[in-house]
Amino acid sequence: MAVVVPPRPAGAEYVERLERQWASRPGVLGWLTTTDHKRIGLLYFWTTLAFFGAGGVEALIMRTQLSTPNEHVVSPGTYDELFSMHGITMIFFFIIPMTTGAFGNYLIPLMIGARDMAFPRMNALSYWIFLASGLFIYTSLFMGMAPNAGWFDYVPLASRQFDPGRNIDFYCLGIIFNSIASTLTAGQFIVTIFKSRAPGMSLNRMPLFCFAFLAASLGLLFALPVLSANTIFLFLDRNIGTHFFDPARGGSPLLWQHLFWIFGHPEVYILIVPAFGIATSIIPAFTQRRLTAFPLVAIAELLVVFIGFGVWAHHMFATGMPTISMVFFAAATAMVVIPSTIQVFAWCMSMVTGSARFRTPLLFIAGFIFMFVTGGLTGIMFLAIPFDQQVTDTYFIIAHFHYIIFGAAVFPIFGGMYFWFPKVTGRMYFERPGQISFWIIFVGTNLLFFPMHIVGLLGMTRRVYTYPGGLGWTAFNFAETVGGFITLVGILLLFGNLVVSYFRAPRADQDPWHGPTLEWTTTSPPPEYNFAVVPTVTSPYPNWDDADRERDRAKLARGVLVLDEGHEQPAVTPVDGRFAEIVEMPNESPWPVVLAISLALVFTMLLIEKYVIAGLMGILCLITLLAWSWKEPQE
Amino acid sequence: MSADPARVPVPRTTGAESPAEVVAAVRRRAGPPAAWWGMVVLIASEATLFGAFIGTYYYLRFETPVWPPLGIPEPKVVVPLILIGCLALTAPPMLLAYRAAAAGRLRAARGYLVLALVVQAGYFAFEVHDFRDQLHTYGITRNAYSSIYYTLLGADHAHVLLGILFTAWLLAKLAGGLTTYRVNAAQAIAWYWVAVILLTFAVIGTLLSARV
Repeated sequence: MAVVVPPRPAGAEYVERLERQWASRPGVLGWLTTTDHKRIGLLYFWTTLAFFGAGGVEALIMRTQLSTPNEHVVSPGTYDELFSMHGITMIFFFIIPMTTGAFGNYLIPLMIGARDMAFPRMNALSYWIFLASGLFIYTSLFMGMAPNAGWFDYVPLASRQFDPGRNIDFYCLGIIFNSIASTLTAGQFIVTIFKSRAPGMSLNRMPLFCFAFLAASLGLLFALPVLSANTIFLFLDRNIGTHFFDPARGGSPLLWQHLFWIFGHPEVYILIVPAFGIATSIIPAFTQRRLTAFPLVAIAELLVVFIGFGVWAHHMFATGMPTISMVFFAAATAMVVIPSTIQVFAWCMSMVTGSARFRTPLLFIAGFIFMFVTGGLTGIMFLAIPFDQQVTDTYFIIAHFHYIIFGAAVFPIFGGMYFWFPKVTGRMYFERPGQISFWIIFVGTNLLFFPMHIVGLLGMTRRVYTYPGGLGWTAFNFAETVGGFITLVGILLLFGNLVVSYFRAPRADQDPWHGPTLEWTTTSPPPEYNFAVVPTVTSPYPNWDDADRERDRAKLARGVLVLDEGHEQPAVTPVDGRFAEIVEMPNESPWPVVLAISLALVFTMLLIEKYVIAGLMGILCLITLLAWSWKEPQE
Repeated sequence: MSADPARVPVPRTTGAESPAEVVAAVRRRAGPPAAWWGMVVLIASEATLFGAFIGTYYYLRFETPVWPPLGIPEPKVVVPLILIGCLALTAPPMLLAYRAAAAGRLRAARGYLVLALVVQAGYFAFEVHDFRDQLHTYGITRNAYSSIYYTLLGADHAHVLLGILFTAWLLAKLAGGLTTYRVNAAQAIAWYWVAVILLTFAVIGTLLSARV
């Protein structure tokens, strides 16, 4: 009797070889030394989620404090630390690392058909530095010395004279430390997007998601050094005795504001542009049509960030600038409307003209568009300089930028979590609780933030610790607090759904949404090497090009472009995506963790003013770098 | 049982094992490697940092009626200009070192690097000495002018030091033979060094503008 041997799938021997070569080290050591962009993305995800929790708890304590007049839930000093840490956390330790660190790291190589980032060890380094800087700045909270002059930390309030503790030193050093991580990530994305795309993916075939992340990375690259310069000045003023911000000796407090907002306004776009990228991924998948006006949207994503560098002084209309400067910056700010509107129209047109299926991810995107337009409309109001001067530093501002930052940045993050959940975990999520979670969050955030417009117009200034009754603010504030807790319920339901889904939901196949981009062509979750063959790309929606996918299967069967002689990856020319060379990628290194620890020691020593020891720790960093570069990737 | 290597249309650059293979692979690839792009990104970020410093310098200057403020000597002109001339002279050997490495001429590459390194180190030693001297005349804590003056100059010296460390590291690497990784490094470091020289020109130009 003949034994029937099931036929091996074509190309199985190559896949087995790749599996062996790319297998990661097991256990904790594997995670500590990993250079796999997917693992680093997940590390970023869990860490930023923890910071999101911390920032959320800070917000809810503040809302509880403000729920009724003359409340005393926390002391005024603690309240200062809470609002400062809330801003710092949500911006530097949640949204930026969640979008770039988690979503970008996990998805960009998958979307461009690469096996890893251009500099995998540097990628690991940026995560470990990010983690160390977060722990560094949160240490201050537990020592009762957290930054307490707001996230934009204006001098002279933040100068040694008025803030003599270590609070602001934690701010300066923590921000510089964190900027190193973000700069590394930004540089990483720029080079990866330019050099590591699959051959054939010229720039005009690159997914809009990647354009958005390219824009955000360029923004980070050129904005963060200005913040670093500013915080270096403040640190020197406070600890060495320089006079950058001291008008008595020729310095200027306004210098801080200029430098801060030259960083700070592009920063706002850096926060939301990746969210635009998430929207441009979700909309085509759930409308099953190509996004309207692809080239315009790609240019608009870059333009938003570019124009964002020329508008900073609209944060400073109340500082007594000359009228001509104010008018210039108001006009420049008006220009941002153009690329933003192009995108809003493109999203809406795609939904209207496609067959939109409002599953949870698309619901979050629809909510995002609503919040973004609302926040954008209040944003335009600030162009009217007298109006801006009237409402500056009131709750109207808080309402505006929370519509933008929660509505336009965090909603797409939530939508993206649902959208790529099947890809990352290999399981579906439960749809009904997902939709309920959206509606609860949508109602909660609007109840939380909309009344802030009104109390702002009624004159309630931001950062007040408490307020007397009888001003007509009480009901609104109470409603906001209720809205805050409703939002919390929605967010808990969202994560509860995802956690239960991870264990209980049915398995997902590799392409549950019939998504447009390359990540849907590989298994869920993707293998360590991402793609068995270098994918063929002839359009920005490669997963819909069935003939190309057929070609990939044929290539695998014949062993063409499998690149299995080691940790190999193709590199291309930046614009045309012509195949340039095959490079051997580094793999698993202990040095990123060691370097991050050494850097943490440098910053700790600077904090306690032990400059000589800090210098010695700097030498330790150099020695680590020497060890890092000792073994070359191909060895 | 490797996949068909003959079907790969481009060089496996990092797989090159002898200097001849390295030269051939580097010649055949299209466009600069990721290392060069990484260096361009680093330079862009450094240039922005210095842009912020220089912008601060002029911001403070236009807020101050007398610049440099009374009691502070004007910056010296001749010595810094001679020094920066010496620094600029190290650009050609750094670029030639990369050319030589990419052509497989390892001895020549090392020779150029040694030449550059000697001049770089001499420049740096003199500048550190001069920096200390100036600090004795008037300190960094005198006023806003002295604050930005020393910050700008100190930041520039720190970048020169980083460039020197890069050069020394490259020399040590090339002493062990030629690989594609090292050719890429030579290119990136040569570019970094040229950027440091340009930054130094910008810094010295800014500081000397106080005399205008």
